[in-house]
Amino acid sequence: MRDKLGEELRDVLQELMNISMGQAANELAKLIETKITLSIPHIVTITPEEFAEIFDSADRYWFSRQSFLGSLRGEVIALLSKSGTDTMASLMDYPLPLDDATTEELILELANILAGACLKGFAEQLELKANLSMPTAYRPAQDKERQFRWDSALLMEVEFKVEQSMFGSKVLICLEDQSVDSLINRLNTLLE
Amino acid sequence: MVDSLVCNALVDKLPLGICVLDRDFNISYWNSFFADRMDMPSDVVLGRNILELFQDEASFLKKKLKSVLVLNNPSFSYWEHRPHIFKFKSSRPITGEETLMYQNMEIVPLQIVDGEVQSICLILQDVTALAGYFNAQKELALQLEAEHAEQRALINKLEMAQGQLLQAEKMASIGQLAAGVAHEINNPIGFINSNLQSLKDYVANLLKIVEFSEKVIDKATPDAYHKLKADFYERQQYRFIRQDITELVSECLEGTSRVAAIVKNLKSFSHVDNSEWQYADVRDGMENTLKIVNNQLKYKVTVHRDYDEPLPQLYCQPMQLNQVFMNLLVNAAQAIEHNGDIYISMKCHEQGVRVAIRDTGSGIEPRHLDKIFDPFFTTKPVGSGTGLGLSLSYSIVQKHQGQIAVTSERGKGTEFTITLPMLTEQQVAEKEQQARNAAPHLAE
Repeated sequence: MRDKLGEELRDVLQELMNISMGQAANELAKLIETKITLSIPHIVTITPEEFAEIFDSADRYWFSRQSFLGSLRGEVIALLSKSGTDTMASLMDYPLPLDDATTEELILELANILAGACLKGFAEQLELKANLSMPTAYRPAQDKERQFRWDSALLMEVEFKVEQSMFGSKVLICLEDQSVDSLINRLNTLLE
Repeated sequence: MVDSLVCNALVDKLPLGICVLDRDFNISYWNSFFADRMDMPSDVVLGRNILELFQDEASFLKKKLKSVLVLNNPSFSYWEHRPHIFKFKSSRPITGEETLMYQNMEIVPLQIVDGEVQSICLILQDVTALAGYFNAQKELALQLEAEHAEQRALINKLEMAQGQLLQAEKMASIGQLAAGVAHEINNPIGFINSNLQSLKDYVANLLKIVEFSEKVIDKATPDAYHKLKADFYERQQYRFIRQDITELVSECLEGTSRVAAIVKNLKSFSHVDNSEWQYADVRDGMENTLKIVNNQLKYKVTVHRDYDEPLPQLYCQPMQLNQVFMNLLVNAAQAIEHNGDIYISMKCHEQGVRVAIRDTGSGIEPRHLDKIFDPFFTTKPVGSGTGLGLSLSYSIVQKHQGQIAVTSERGKGTEFTITLPMLTEQQVAEKEQQARNAAPHLAE
């Protein structure tokens, strides 16, 4: 599956991602009335080992996960930086100081907004359906040998930064193998 | 296609709270889950603003609803963070247990026209059972953790107690052995000693007799016999014997007295030799002991005293404690080669007295530290230490239900700390009784 996507489709996908992520950033910016910058989307096929490495950064990030169903199936993983949460809390009208419960509430809400915006934009561009479930905090077991039922997955990563704060977030849209096929079909149809 | 009546009935039957709002958050649908539990019929709430109806939660609801409107993206709330958004009536009015309903809420955009959200659906799920289970689990985990910590502390305590027990057991078995040996040795040593005493007298007498005979021979007999006598004396090494015999007997006597001293130590070690329990001031004991060991201290040691005033009177065996002090002081003095200091402190302690004796001597080698209280362990040259002093001290302190501890640094010195609790006569009597019950043969 490494080269399933191909250079041309990857470029198209990246362009699509760029547009939808831009929309996502705009909407978030509207809500919190603060400027948001985002990185160029990064699209890569990964192995379970590479996937597991993402969670080595547990000292710097909180993780959340949300599954989505529809013609596209997969999970959205959001990494939210531990720095700058207080600024985000005040932007989101949370009472300060944050306790553990409100921190998690804030993290999940932010993750939901970002993931929802990203996925919605992305699915709309492709004219595909993807219903996102509610987010949950993800705490992968650190030392345990992680067992995944897949060999490779498509990962679309985009990084958000909230200006005037230390806060940053990475949203990873992870597609399972079968969905990659429907994605490729869809992209090919759009290109024709 | 299912018609709208069926649809309405279906939504009413769902075990979910469902409420539909327009863009201004006015209620346009309110299912029976809400109506029944809030005691607010549908026709009362329809058209009313949800934020006005639930003013306590207005700011929270507004934030969530606004984010759905702006982002066209579902929002949610978990019971872990906000357990009771809507204050429902208890669902168990008969059996009691007034528990508030734990709720998960999802807010989803319902109708979207040209990318703009026209109506919002609020879905409420009753997760009371789940939350109850989860909370119980959490409580259980906390409880387990606390128990675990308690157990760990207990294990530590047990390990310590075991160590002490091991030492005490070693002492007890050595004590039994010592009592037997002491008893066996005491008899022969007794008659050897008294025989030697007699022998000493006899030897003196014999020597006088020989001297007298010699003089008589010298005066009364012809010279030829003198020569004969001199030859015979010479052959029998009379001069040497005469000189050596007294020395031999004295040495033997000294030997027996040393054996007797060891036996006495052994006896007191095995508690055969019980000295009296009484109330005493340990400071007096220390001062008396210092006078006794003064000979070994005065030329090389400066003694520094630091005593609490007043010290409580301890119910103890003063003579035995003096023995302990003496052992420690003599050891301290011996550890000091040329000049040094001994610091003695006697302080009130939570439930008794703490005595510390610190010297600036050579210190104890780390590898010896856990052996110094073992009977017969000594680093002194053969003949100058029995190896019983510290083990005896240990058992005396134990008998006072106290503790003796040591810290030492090579080249810097050693400190012994004795903690003696306040005992009552009754406690001591009980303890003695226990000891007698446990080892009847020792009390004989």
